[in-house]
Amino acid sequence: MFEDYIFPGLIILLQSVALLVALLVFTAFILYADRKVWAAVMSRRGPNVVGPFGLLQSFADLLKFVIKEPIIPSGSNKGIFLLAPLISSALALAGWAVIPVSEGWAIASINVGILFVFAVSSLEVYGVIMAGWASNSKYPFLGALRSAAQMVSYEVSIGFVIVTVLLCVGSLNMTDIVLSQKDGLGTHLGLTNSLLDWHWLGLFPMFVIFFISALAETNRPPFDLVEAESELVAGHMIEYSSTPYLLFMLGEYIAILLMCALTVILFLGGWLPPLDIAPFNWIPGVFWFIFKLCMVFFMFAMVKTIVPRYRYDQLMRLGWKVFLPISLFMVIATAAFLKFTGLA
Amino acid sequence: MLLTGLGAAFFYLFAFVAIASAVMVISARNPVHSVLYLILTFFNAAALFILTGAEFLGMILLVVYIGAVAVLFLFVVMMLDVDFASMKRGALDYAPIGAMVGIVLASELLIVLGAQFIGVGQPGSVASPTPDPLTRTNTAALGDIIYTDYIFFFQIAGMVLLVAMIGAIVLTLRPTRPGVKRQNMGKQVARKVEDSIDVVDVETGKGL
Amino acid sequence: MTVVELTQSLNIAAPELALAVGSMVLLMIGVFAPKDSANSTVTGLAVALLIGVLGWMVFFDEQGTAFGGAFVQDAFAYFFKILTLVGSIVALVMSVGFAREEKFDRFEFPILIILATLGMMLMISATSLLSLYMALELQSLALYVIAAINRDSARSTEAGLKYFVLGALSSGMMLYGISLVYGFTGHVGFTEIAAALTGQERSVGLLFGLAFLLTGLAFKISAVPFHMWTPDVYEGAPTPVTAFFAAAPKMAAMAMLVRVVTDAFGTVTGDWQQIIIFISIASMALGAVAAIGQNNIKRLMAYSSIGHMGYALVGLAAGTVAGVQGVLVYMAIYLAMTLGTFAFILAMRRKDEGNVESINDLAGYAQNNPLQATVLTILMFSLAGIPPLAGFWGKWYVFLAAVEAGLYPLAIIGVVASVVGAFYYLRIIKIMWFDEPESKFVSAAGELRLVMGLSGIFVVGFIVFGGPIAAYAENAAKALF
Repeated sequence: MFEDYIFPGLIILLQSVALLVALLVFTAFILYADRKVWAAVMSRRGPNVVGPFGLLQSFADLLKFVIKEPIIPSGSNKGIFLLAPLISSALALAGWAVIPVSEGWAIASINVGILFVFAVSSLEVYGVIMAGWASNSKYPFLGALRSAAQMVSYEVSIGFVIVTVLLCVGSLNMTDIVLSQKDGLGTHLGLTNSLLDWHWLGLFPMFVIFFISALAETNRPPFDLVEAESELVAGHMIEYSSTPYLLFMLGEYIAILLMCALTVILFLGGWLPPLDIAPFNWIPGVFWFIFKLCMVFFMFAMVKTIVPRYRYDQLMRLGWKVFLPISLFMVIATAAFLKFTGLA
Repeated sequence: MLLTGLGAAFFYLFAFVAIASAVMVISARNPVHSVLYLILTFFNAAALFILTGAEFLGMILLVVYIGAVAVLFLFVVMMLDVDFASMKRGALDYAPIGAMVGIVLASELLIVLGAQFIGVGQPGSVASPTPDPLTRTNTAALGDIIYTDYIFFFQIAGMVLLVAMIGAIVLTLRPTRPGVKRQNMGKQVARKVEDSIDVVDVETGKGL
Repeated sequence: MTVVELTQSLNIAAPELALAVGSMVLLMIGVFAPKDSANSTVTGLAVALLIGVLGWMVFFDEQGTAFGGAFVQDAFAYFFKILTLVGSIVALVMSVGFAREEKFDRFEFPILIILATLGMMLMISATSLLSLYMALELQSLALYVIAAINRDSARSTEAGLKYFVLGALSSGMMLYGISLVYGFTGHVGFTEIAAALTGQERSVGLLFGLAFLLTGLAFKISAVPFHMWTPDVYEGAPTPVTAFFAAAPKMAAMAMLVRVVTDAFGTVTGDWQQIIIFISIASMALGAVAAIGQNNIKRLMAYSSIGHMGYALVGLAAGTVAGVQGVLVYMAIYLAMTLGTFAFILAMRRKDEGNVESINDLAGYAQNNPLQATVLTILMFSLAGIPPLAGFWGKWYVFLAAVEAGLYPLAIIGVVASVVGAFYYLRIIKIMWFDEPESKFVSAAGELRLVMGLSGIFVVGFIVFGGPIAAYAENAAKALF
């Protein structure tokens, strides 16, 4: 009994807690980084009061949110109102269960890992919808309406992008996806196990589409119409305060990190070093993973600062009339290429 | 395959929640709650799929049914603002008919189950078993046959979806009303400075 | 399935393949053609495509089973596919004038007709419960949309919705039946089911499955007691759509019903025969009695088609080659008569009122247009089954098969029902010839007159060229046994 169930159970629990803590701390600094980047582009200082260089700003915010009084509107549907932020953050965290941060460093290395992440990210829309409906107010509901259409639309192209990558890999396991990137275009060019082997080069259009769709899927600017402050005040989060609001913010940022991690795994070689030579391959894979994650997040942050928000019809046009045909074509083209060159 | 230990515990957990939430779907007063319970039922069904080793099906159920279909379903229910309480008031009148249909279907299920246990009318042959999950993942096993042996059905399914798509567009897309201005992206992008701005030297006091 | 098998399969299914690919090409043409000419371009090309496929079916005789036994192209399938294609082509051609007059110009309409036809052809060829169900859904889904295609008309929308809800219910029942059959035989292929059923004791579950399966199929041919949707849908849908509904889908559904019971359940004739006999009697009786009170000619045609399905089923109930041959001949004749009658209904058009649908509007048709009135009179006589017109020969074949199979009561009830049913056809003739003239109809479009003429010639001339058709039908029927 002990050896069969309790001991493995405890190990999984410990691993989960360790990942959770690491992730939350990481998120705190990512939030800080986001604000700093944003401020720097605008020639402001950004958070600089709490702690050295304002490094502890996120923790101060956390404390502030937690000790505030949660306000629940009287006309709201209380149960769903409180459930929404929980679902939002729990789902975002659940996605991390299958992400391998280094070889063998995943809590669950399941066969259909990529599908699991895709499923989790497609379920995230429920947090927004439930919040929008339960608030019983028109701005949140409009925000929820927009988000449902937006997230469902962009999932389609994300799905096709993932399919193209899977065609090249031949497995749905995240670790296999990373390991398959040891051998690719770069190897054919003579640079074995290098950054040229990763999928971003071979599938460059897909990489771009995935990056933009990831922005839309996580409601990041320039696609943050769900909470466009100039029209909807704060979208589905208007009526939220205190800890529930914190959970929404947390869920949002962890979902963003999840998408960054997915970008790293699908296109940027996961934990693999950029060149398989002396100083690079000494560094443990997990650092490469985190480094790449930060780089992708930096791109997310830069997009937020320099691209103006899309109008809703433009967003829908981009998703359905541009990305969908291109990604559909790329699926066919990639499959045909692999078939006729005999690579698959 | 008989589940034991932890597998059995999870099976009973998911099965219980699935049935309980299915009951809530029809008994909840608020239609939105009903849909949310329906989603919970789907979720548990997906979990049961995974438990039986059909991980691909389970995930597809999550992505397609919960992630897309149920979202739209939820939206329709949220926006319809139907007074379900008054609709339900008359529902009891139909209870006898409903019960009759239910009894017929249930008795048939019993017959089917009975045949399983008693052995009368057992299938003459059992469909070919699925490959061993250790040697071939069920995603790959599905791929092995769906594009070869079942290509015909796969393609008809595609045609059915095409018809559904055409139908949805035909029935909802109305011709644009006259006088509505639409953005033409191509035209906007193709616009040049020379086409839109004239630099004119205007003499003071004269005007154009 | 190897590549060679797949290529062979595609070769056998070439007509279906052409329709599938053609519909997608037409969709692209429709989307990118200029808006004002999209409908006429696509309609023209759609008719050309259907005629091309029909020609292919007539001149190339590529028979065999395909896709691992899920699809068969045999003489039976050829017979019904040709009927279905004729029904679709004529219905589409007849819609042209209507579309022009009623501003009913959606280019999706011909495409949906093609897709529905594709579904029907797949239904006719289905030799597995799986392909049968999927083909049926393809056809039904297209039909639901076509019924509701005139969005601005509340009746059309209602017709579509009603058809959809009841159709979905019947599909559900059929699927339940299929699952029971699969559960009790372990197979979905017709030949395997038939093999599993020989020589073993049949369980109650299988009977339940068969009953549910037949329920779903009876709904599709609108046989009593699953006919309730028919009058409302016929009345509500735009008239060219009604013409299409009365013609092509009936062919496919009847073909499917015949194939299922003779192919998959051919060894358990006794089990389904009584169900078919009941459905047949009920349909004939209701078709004869309920039509009497109708004043709307489309509703009347709905009851008429219910009755005709009952007569056709008499042949199936016999369960013999002669019986199935009777069904085939009957369906061919029904198709010709129905399309001809709907050409007249479409031509019932006044300058100030637009299309009219009441039977009393036909008053004085004989004075205003004696030639057309004569043709319509002949069609009505034929529908009533007056010798020596085609309708009589159709009934002759099915009743004869029933008598040969020893089903005397069924044949007698059928004759009585056709005598009763003759009343309302004769009433139309009386209104045309003896009632006070109303204002004239506008002169019928060329394509409508063509259809009227052709169906008139068919009905009158059947006594001459009926022999080859019957021989062809016998050949087709033998393919099943």
